[in-house]
Amino acid sequence: MAEVDSSKPPPTLSEQYLLKEKEEKLDMGTKPAEELEVKDPANATSEEVATEENPVVANESSGDPSDEATSNAGESVAESTQAAAEENSETAEQDDSGDKEVEETPEIKIETAPADFRFPTTNQTRHCFTRYIEYHRCVAAKGEGAPECDKFAKYYRALCPGEWVDRWNEQRENGTFPGPL
Amino acid sequence: MIVLEWRFLTIAPCDAAEPWQLGSQDAATPMMQGIIDLHHDIFFFLILILVFVSRILVRALWHFHYKKNPIPQRIVHGTTIEILRTIFPSIIPMFIAIPSFALLYSMDEVVVDPAITIKAIGHQWYRTYEYSDYNSSDEQSLTFDSYTIPEDDPELGQSRLLEVDNRVVVPAKTHLRIIVTPADVPHSWAVPSSGVKCDAVPGRLNQTSISVQREGVYYGQCSEICGTNHAFTPIVVEAVSRKDYGSRVSNQLIPQTNQTGEA
Ligand SMILES: [Cu+2]
Repeated sequence: MAEVDSSKPPPTLSEQYLLKEKEEKLDMGTKPAEELEVKDPANATSEEVATEENPVVANESSGDPSDEATSNAGESVAESTQAAAEENSETAEQDDSGDKEVEETPEIKIETAPADFRFPTTNQTRHCFTRYIEYHRCVAAKGEGAPECDKFAKYYRALCPGEWVDRWNEQRENGTFPGPL
Repeated sequence: MIVLEWRFLTIAPCDAAEPWQLGSQDAATPMMQGIIDLHHDIFFFLILILVFVSRILVRALWHFHYKKNPIPQRIVHGTTIEILRTIFPSIIPMFIAIPSFALLYSMDEVVVDPAITIKAIGHQWYRTYEYSDYNSSDEQSLTFDSYTIPEDDPELGQSRLLEVDNRVVVPAKTHLRIIVTPADVPHSWAVPSSGVKCDAVPGRLNQTSISVQREGVYYGQCSEICGTNHAFTPIVVEAVSRKDYGSRVSNQLIPQTNQTGEA
């Protein structure tokens, strides 16, 4: 299941099977042009993400992307290696979705919790649980409504069934939550 | 002729099973394409073995017929043939195992970053789908139930016991993370065209990653016996373009966000 990596020479099964790669080709078409605009080729990718994300933030009423940018910066101090991995994956994703939105401008931002390298298996139960705990620890540390914690909330809401979240919220209120908070 | 009639006169059930179907349904994901290719690869060896074994069998029956050859040859030992018939059968499984494991591990892969998470929650006997990527609170979430259309209800062109009232809408050509879990007993979320069959185990979240390559409607059925109405718990996945997905989701989301207020 290769991601759309144009740098890889041997086509994988999924790449061979793609019927028409409209999105990918548009990506490849736009990238060189943007690299020409950006003067420094070394920082091209990161600059590109930044320049592309900003108009999206301006267009959209929701503050999610800007929140994430700040929370990324905040988190990288706390958890060094994991944050780096997550940031990498996140920027890749944002790059992708950013392109999408410039082209099509849908009303919603297509984005979800990234794959976590702590949970590489089919069983994602702990992933959901860990994200829920991370959020509540973050809230406990930084105070209610801290913007750094928003992304954890987003992650656990994406991963956990609503029923589970409701039950855990109830348990937290009653003080019977089984996890380390 | 009858087969041809079945082929052309049935009302095209998109990516659902056909009457008297022998092969797989058309692949909609690279994973399913891999499964079909593996099937064909293995069939090569299968036919090779079949032909070879039948030849030996028929030859033995022919040459050692009791009337023609009442006293069989009394060979009890032959080093060359014993080496050959040990080495070759052990090489063949290797040729089968290599592509098989490659496919197996590529299906297990969850490191690709998904763009969308959809929770497929099995119930007795319907399914609930949650789209929670766009939530700003625990209460607000795009959730809907998907019930089968009863047997006496379908309109012309709908497949019997395969159609549901609310389909899962997913964007095509996008990495999807499907989180499969039940709320009561074990269920399964299976869509043959996308090569997915993921068991739903109570208390556990199983993840499966798919990337639907073409727009269309894909049908599947519950594949884990879950009670009386097990046969009436179909799955319908509707793959639309990313743009349409965006508008569909936001259209369903707006009435909810008006109540709680978006972040
Ligand atoms: Cu069932």
